[in-house]
Amino acid sequence: MAPPVLAEKPTVTPRPGRRRRPGFGRRDHLIGWLLIAPAVVYFLVFLLFPALAALYYSFTDWNLRTAPNWVGLANYTDLLFDDAKYPHFWQSIKVTLQYTIIAVPLTLGTALIQALLLNAIHRGSNFFRLLLFLPVVTAEAAVGAIWRWLYDPQYGLINTFIELFGIPRQNWLNTPELVIPALSFIAAWQCGISMIIYLAGLKGIPTSIREAAVIDGAGPVQRFWRVVVPMLRPTTFYLLVTGVIAALQVFGLVYVIFSGGGNRSVTGGPEQSGLTYVLHLYLYAFRYDAMGAACAMSFILFLFIMIVTAMQFKFVKQEAS
Amino acid sequence: MTRNVRKAPIYIALVLLALVSVVPFLWMLATSFKHGSDVYTRVPSLLPLDRKTGEWSPTLENYEHVLQVGGLGQAFLNSVWVCLILVPAKLLIDALAAYAFARIPFPGRDKLFVVLLAGMMVPTITLLVPRIHVTQQLGMFDSPWGLIVPNVASVLDIFLLRQFFLSLPGELEEAALIDGAGRMQIFWRIILPLSKPVLAVVTITSFIFHWNDLVWPLVVLNDPELYTLPLALQQLASSESGRAYYIMAGAALAVIPVIIVLLIFQRRIMQGLAFTGLRS
Repeated sequence: MAPPVLAEKPTVTPRPGRRRRPGFGRRDHLIGWLLIAPAVVYFLVFLLFPALAALYYSFTDWNLRTAPNWVGLANYTDLLFDDAKYPHFWQSIKVTLQYTIIAVPLTLGTALIQALLLNAIHRGSNFFRLLLFLPVVTAEAAVGAIWRWLYDPQYGLINTFIELFGIPRQNWLNTPELVIPALSFIAAWQCGISMIIYLAGLKGIPTSIREAAVIDGAGPVQRFWRVVVPMLRPTTFYLLVTGVIAALQVFGLVYVIFSGGGNRSVTGGPEQSGLTYVLHLYLYAFRYDAMGAACAMSFILFLFIMIVTAMQFKFVKQEAS
Repeated sequence: MTRNVRKAPIYIALVLLALVSVVPFLWMLATSFKHGSDVYTRVPSLLPLDRKTGEWSPTLENYEHVLQVGGLGQAFLNSVWVCLILVPAKLLIDALAAYAFARIPFPGRDKLFVVLLAGMMVPTITLLVPRIHVTQQLGMFDSPWGLIVPNVASVLDIFLLRQFFLSLPGELEEAALIDGAGRMQIFWRIILPLSKPVLAVVTITSFIFHWNDLVWPLVVLNDPELYTLPLALQQLASSESGRAYYIMAGAALAVIPVIIVLLIFQRRIMQGLAFTGLRS
């Protein structure tokens, strides 16, 4: 007797790609569109349209009340070359670059030192981390108000403190050469986010590498420069890019620091030494009603940020290769 | 023993750094509790002491003054209201969109998402002037809605939520779909309860951002009755610049609620802010 033929049994396992999964159909597409609709409407009205409108307005003379008047590239050329019309434009660029060059390295350095110290201890590290993080969540308006009082030439804590070391009292926010250092110090005071990111970077360095360095007889200084710094390079790069982008746009703090006297009057500080790029932009937009010029300024900034970012990425690529 | 000795310099350095970080707040609090006559002394004091007798003499006068006369009471309430409406509304809009972007495949979805992400590259300052114009056109300039509607969604939050939703296992949802559950039921009953950590991060960081925000209220509001706390504080700092005790009481009102939130949710806030930067 021949055995029954088993092999003939047809296989009915469904092919995974063809199976019709439940809930996927026209109706589902509709629900998908409905769910994203509010966000997409917001995106169109408050992001895409404003971005395109800003570009258009940057080629016009416009004061928000009357219709914009097309002037071609005049806003851009006037900003860059007409010192009579925009006497402080280049000053605002100088101030912003000075601030960026001082504040960003100071912030990253402070953050790295804090992270290294926190990483070296166990007991109490959460407590110290919390204290070091406090300045980050503080409102710009409060930061500005508190530091104005700390920098007060007569009664401020800072002057009292430096006097202990025999350094004469300074009028920090009223001396042109001291304004940028004073602002940069506030930025470093608020370095908590960079500190947390550095801390994560440090935790990501494999202990085996450190141990190997110790076995090879590397001292702490050597370990720092030969192991920690190279291993943290991606973190530093990320913080550098985001730090520079943020520093180029610093505004709220300077606004609070240099506002005074009447309602909503703000200056660029002594001899315009605190006139950052965005403060200058704000003044033209909301004080002098030059919305077209303000939009042109905002696109010059946008372009500049993109160039700086691209340069930083290129630099890293070159380093890597 | 030797180990502890070796760690001593590290602790000393940390204490010094922590002091730099915290003393400005202590100075703010001390000034805010001082009588006006005790504030301007040659040797500054980190405690509210009487300038003549050196005795402990704190006062709440400054707080009473800024809350009632200085308009910070109204501003505090305005800020609370704006955050109470804005933060949940924004969370809902962002979570719904993120769910669709993560889970409901419809034509053009991923391209649209890339466009949204590209929109994040534009600096907010570039959008500021046209946004004001749009807000005017919508009749919301200088109104509470002008604080809420132009901020009511965030591509960054959609991105964060979408990443989290993508990491959730799909089996539960498919089972629910087979059982005949609708998309909204799945969203409310399955997705949201599984996403509490990321929802908390987004909610808290968004609260901190809007509670602290100065620039948008500054450009969209004229009416002092509508001022939010940071804007009212900035005005106070500008108009009462000779009276540090009032300004510090105002600063304390702005700072203390956020510090309380930070103490409660410190881990989530630090994670969240490390991810999102300061949303700028």
